[in-house]
Amino acid sequence: MNEHINYICKRIEVLSPIHSKKLKKNRTFFDERYDELADVFFKKYLRVLQLENKTLDYAIACYLQMLADVTNETVEFLRTGKYTSTTFEEVNKRVYASPGVMEYYMHGLLLSQFLFKHHYQTLTFFTDTLPQYVNTTKSYLEVGVGHGLYLSSALDILDSKTTFTVVDISETSIQFAKNLINDTRVEYNLRDIFDFDKGEKYDFITLGEVLEHVEDPLGLLLKLNDLLSDDGVLFFTTPTNAPAIDHIYLFNNVDEIRDIVRSAGFQIASERSFLSEDVSAERAEKYKIAVLYDAFLKKISR
Amino acid sequence: MDKNEILKKVNAIFIDILDDENIVLTYETTANDVEDWDSLNHIQLVVAIEKQFKIRFTSKEIQSWNNVGEMVNSVSLKLN
Repeated sequence: MNEHINYICKRIEVLSPIHSKKLKKNRTFFDERYDELADVFFKKYLRVLQLENKTLDYAIACYLQMLADVTNETVEFLRTGKYTSTTFEEVNKRVYASPGVMEYYMHGLLLSQFLFKHHYQTLTFFTDTLPQYVNTTKSYLEVGVGHGLYLSSALDILDSKTTFTVVDISETSIQFAKNLINDTRVEYNLRDIFDFDKGEKYDFITLGEVLEHVEDPLGLLLKLNDLLSDDGVLFFTTPTNAPAIDHIYLFNNVDEIRDIVRSAGFQIASERSFLSEDVSAERAEKYKIAVLYDAFLKKISR
Repeated sequence: MDKNEILKKVNAIFIDILDDENIVLTYETTANDVEDWDSLNHIQLVVAIEKQFKIRFTSKEIQSWNNVGEMVNSVSLKLN
């Protein structure tokens, strides 16, 4: 086990014994590459912490704060069947335009990539599949770069001549990704994707856990269909039943996601569904456990 | 409702949610004593207890309990 993951797990055992049990269960889902990937990740991440004059203990506190938020949102979701926010304006004020919240949220989410089983499974689905598209990808666009881990992987995998463009609505997020990536090949745009148009088409677009953050996910997919080159590929992920402080669009099941994908003029090239907890499908449905859905999409030929 | 009665009802909820008939709770029981009482099941337990007693916990309460006794206390305070 990677020494930093080991340290994090030991600290969480003390700080949150109840969550520590889940982390122990999650470990059984980490494959033989886990340590190697975690080593690469922590090399980059510790540099970010150092840049910000912060420690791994700070990151653990951020992670636990994010979990506390998720717990509160989940209790409310189970009480009402709805997410607590429904408009972009609400979550923009509550999260994206609030640097203090964004700060702990980004650190917390980033650590979750190596602590939550479904986040790790999604990351490896992306890094395992992306190499298929190296030869056809001359331009890469990422919408909602978040902490930057997916972009960081794409920079490692894709050809060195590929152009990289990022669009994100949060300044904190862009700065975070810049620190993690530290690569001059990337052009960052602080902008709402609906207002983004440079008259260019992109061969590969990544949209990681963004659809649930917008009021009109179909509108966003249609916009991306327009930005994608004719033979291009869109990789996207989005969860069902996943309450969080900035989730506004509720997908009740995976079929609802597939329907929206088809309505936006896409066909599914490959897909995965990962349960966020180690429970049976029956229990997952009964208790509305989140499923993270991932897919590589192509345009439906006209 | 006295605390023993609350404990008995909470025990029945634990048995139902965690699907384990052998669970016997005391006021001192912690998550370390009940194998399946993890962060996911904690949320399910909270919501089921709220439903049973027709009460609502605050987010501070949900995050603060260290054992079953503190949980029962919170319920008791809201009922009495």
